[in-house]
Amino acid sequence: MNPANTESKPEDFAAQEYKAGFVTDIDTDTLPPGLNEDVIRHISAKKDEPEWLLDWRLEAFRHWQTMSEPTWAAVDYSPIDYQAISYYSAPKSSADAPKSLDEVDPKLLETYEKLGIPLREQEMLAGVAVDAVFDSVSVATTFKSKLKEAGVIFCPISEAVRDYPELVQQYMGSVVPQGDNFYAALNSAVFTDGSFVYIPRGVRCPMELSTYFRINAMNTGQFERTLIIADEGAYVSYLEGCTAPQRDENQLHAAVVELVAMDNAQIKYSTVQNWYPGDENGVGGIYNFVTKRADCRGARSKVSWTQVETGSAITWKYPSCVLRGDDSVGEFYSVALTKMHQQADTGTKMIHIGKNTRSTIVSKGIAAGHGNQSYRGLVRIGKDADGARNYTQCDSLLIGDRCGAHTFPYVEVKNPTAMMEHEATTSKIGEDQLFYCLSRGISEEDAVNLIVNGFCKDVFNELPMEFAVEANRLMEVSLEGAVG
Amino acid sequence: MNQVNPLVEQVREQGRLTFNRLGIPTMRLEHWKYTDVKRAMAPFMDHLGDPPAEAAIDTTAIDALAMENLDAYRMVLIDGRLHQEASALPQGVRADSLATLLAEKPEQGIEPLTTREDAPLFNGFVALNAAHARDGVSICIADGVQLDKPLYILHISSGGAAHICHGIHIGSQSQATVIEHYTGSEDTAGFTNVVSQVRLLQGGSLTHIRLQQESSRQTHIGRVSVCQQRDSRYRSHSIALGAALSRVDLITSLAGTGAACELNGLYLTGGRQHADHHTVIEHRAPYCNSREMYRGVLDGRSRAVFNGRVVVHEGAVKTDSSQSNANLLLSARAEVDTKPELEIYNDDVKCAHGATIGQLDTNQLFYLKSRGLSEDEARQLLTFAFADEVLASIDIPTVRRHIEHAAFSKLPHGVDIEEILV
Repeated sequence: MNPANTESKPEDFAAQEYKAGFVTDIDTDTLPPGLNEDVIRHISAKKDEPEWLLDWRLEAFRHWQTMSEPTWAAVDYSPIDYQAISYYSAPKSSADAPKSLDEVDPKLLETYEKLGIPLREQEMLAGVAVDAVFDSVSVATTFKSKLKEAGVIFCPISEAVRDYPELVQQYMGSVVPQGDNFYAALNSAVFTDGSFVYIPRGVRCPMELSTYFRINAMNTGQFERTLIIADEGAYVSYLEGCTAPQRDENQLHAAVVELVAMDNAQIKYSTVQNWYPGDENGVGGIYNFVTKRADCRGARSKVSWTQVETGSAITWKYPSCVLRGDDSVGEFYSVALTKMHQQADTGTKMIHIGKNTRSTIVSKGIAAGHGNQSYRGLVRIGKDADGARNYTQCDSLLIGDRCGAHTFPYVEVKNPTAMMEHEATTSKIGEDQLFYCLSRGISEEDAVNLIVNGFCKDVFNELPMEFAVEANRLMEVSLEGAVG
Repeated sequence: MNQVNPLVEQVREQGRLTFNRLGIPTMRLEHWKYTDVKRAMAPFMDHLGDPPAEAAIDTTAIDALAMENLDAYRMVLIDGRLHQEASALPQGVRADSLATLLAEKPEQGIEPLTTREDAPLFNGFVALNAAHARDGVSICIADGVQLDKPLYILHISSGGAAHICHGIHIGSQSQATVIEHYTGSEDTAGFTNVVSQVRLLQGGSLTHIRLQQESSRQTHIGRVSVCQQRDSRYRSHSIALGAALSRVDLITSLAGTGAACELNGLYLTGGRQHADHHTVIEHRAPYCNSREMYRGVLDGRSRAVFNGRVVVHEGAVKTDSSQSNANLLLSARAEVDTKPELEIYNDDVKCAHGATIGQLDTNQLFYLKSRGLSEDEARQLLTFAFADEVLASIDIPTVRRHIEHAAFSKLPHGVDIEEILV
């Protein structure tokens, strides 16, 4: 479902090396590049959407036209021509995908090997056209029936629009309004894919939900929209992304994720993002402009964001929590690694509105090579947020003398009973730590891996177990060649 | 002053043009996001450049406002005009009136008036200052001079807009203490706009105390810009107690190897006061140190803003920097907005920063109460102790006592605590 003709864009366009060997026929179902109301009507019609959703999209589009691209982030890229992007293309036929792993870039395969990914999954990740008879299909089927039993709704958002319109209509845009920001408005106008999750009252979701299992999520959409609702007392853990580098042809990704937690509900949202970061010279790579926000509407609700960001040429992402319910809790744990010419401007917002709300922010940044990264966060404690508590820690580790690490924390406090602490440190890998490891016979590369993993431990501990193991390995692979 | 030198006129014209373009900073600008100067500036907008009317302030009034018993070389400025020059300065030390300098040695005089527009935190007020600053003090300490007494610059405002510009030059291996004291009688509602340009040559050392104690209706805008050469030491104490709205920008550039700076700040606000402190520390050379500690106590409906930025440039290896900002909120309607920033382009550094906002430690309160202090006394004592940590590093006892006394009278029930302590 990725617009294939984005490649018509000039020089800095997506991963050249990834494209080698892919035949990209222009699908008759693909819209010509450009964005106007007709395009949106077309998308809406293609998806058989109800009238209200079309109006909603158009409203977003009209708002988007009045907005300008944000420039405050500490990232640098050549301007994006929004009229050169095709905003709809029908699901790809298997014809344009690589026929077997032999056609896939060997470098990519090498990485899979290192990450220890099974062959079948390698094929899936590399976008190899696999037949319908595929292991994960059966996995998914058993998976689905189990969820159904529990009463959990987990389906593509377009299906949800069709089957549960009242839920979608009630919640979509209630956390991230259409005109929230430039990219969110664009997403609201043209989103084509994403997940919808609804956990009914008092249900603990029997398994970790993952986009990875959703069959059509193999090629994540360019404008994804995810909506997760945890009703009173419900619990869900949601995994997004994958440690393995994914084949993707879109340069611009503008996703929106909305989470709603009612009384006593808990949502745990984990992301591992490892999209194509561009080559050694900083050419190509994904632009990842994401709006993620959670609304802790109910009392004693809890939302926890965990992210491991190692991919993308540019990351612009601030998963936030609006702590509206009394005693609600927001957490943000993040590891971001930028190497080569990657740039990441990421952080979080914790808006304390309810009484006795608590938030924790742990952000670990690692910059290597020419990588540049910023932590940009906001902690706002409102007038009525009596007894609010925040703890923020953001640490940066620098490897090499041409990288940069920056911290921009905004703290706004309007209530005297609030307790707010912010700490940040920046340093290079401790020479004494390194020396200690070397003196014990550990090679320099292993020593650096050890130290980096220790540095990230607070965050990795928050990841679901399998993810944590993969994340460790991912850091090792990503750091290869960055040291020395 | 009657015939204006073309060099000076050029600087003035440049300032006017830049100000016309930039205007008064608005809240749309990132660095003025929390500070709205529009309403405070409204009464002055029509006559920004007009010199204030000659105020009649006699010696008794001046002495009443000055720090008592301070042994120093004193200069007095009234509404931005030099009223009393320093006398009996030792050899190698000059403290001239900027107005005189501009008339007699314009190429030297315009130096503190020129700020490049790409300098950090440059804004319309700096341009306005260049266009209209009539007077100020130009201090020049020759190489190798250890000044025996502090230079004390007392500013008194009596209303109207005063634009003041100071230049402080510390020669190689010299040492000096400069105190800028801003004050005025209680009922004045004027506007003070000060730019101080400090330059420290190799091994120079300066202790710079900036005490802002203006009337509670005054608007105070200040900028201190420091350039440090090799192995120089700059130590600043920036204290904001007065003014309805105050904003002080402090920019230090550690340009030479081994330079160090220590920035201390304290703001005590009450009523509807607004105090804004922005600092930028630029590490441009290897082996430089910076230490920064700002603290605030907020009461009533007051609001404080702190923005501390530390930039470590490429090549500034072995940088060691720490920064902290702590705030104590005493009232439910006070607000604090803090933003400690780090911007680092180099891996061989050790940087840390922290910010806290909160209330008094309940354990400490309990301890004092168990020793027989009342709840109120215990609270005031701890509040004072919190603020006093910043003042502890002021090594001139008279100055420290003066500020402590002012701080006591600012804190609720502070006078009673002063009796306990002193």
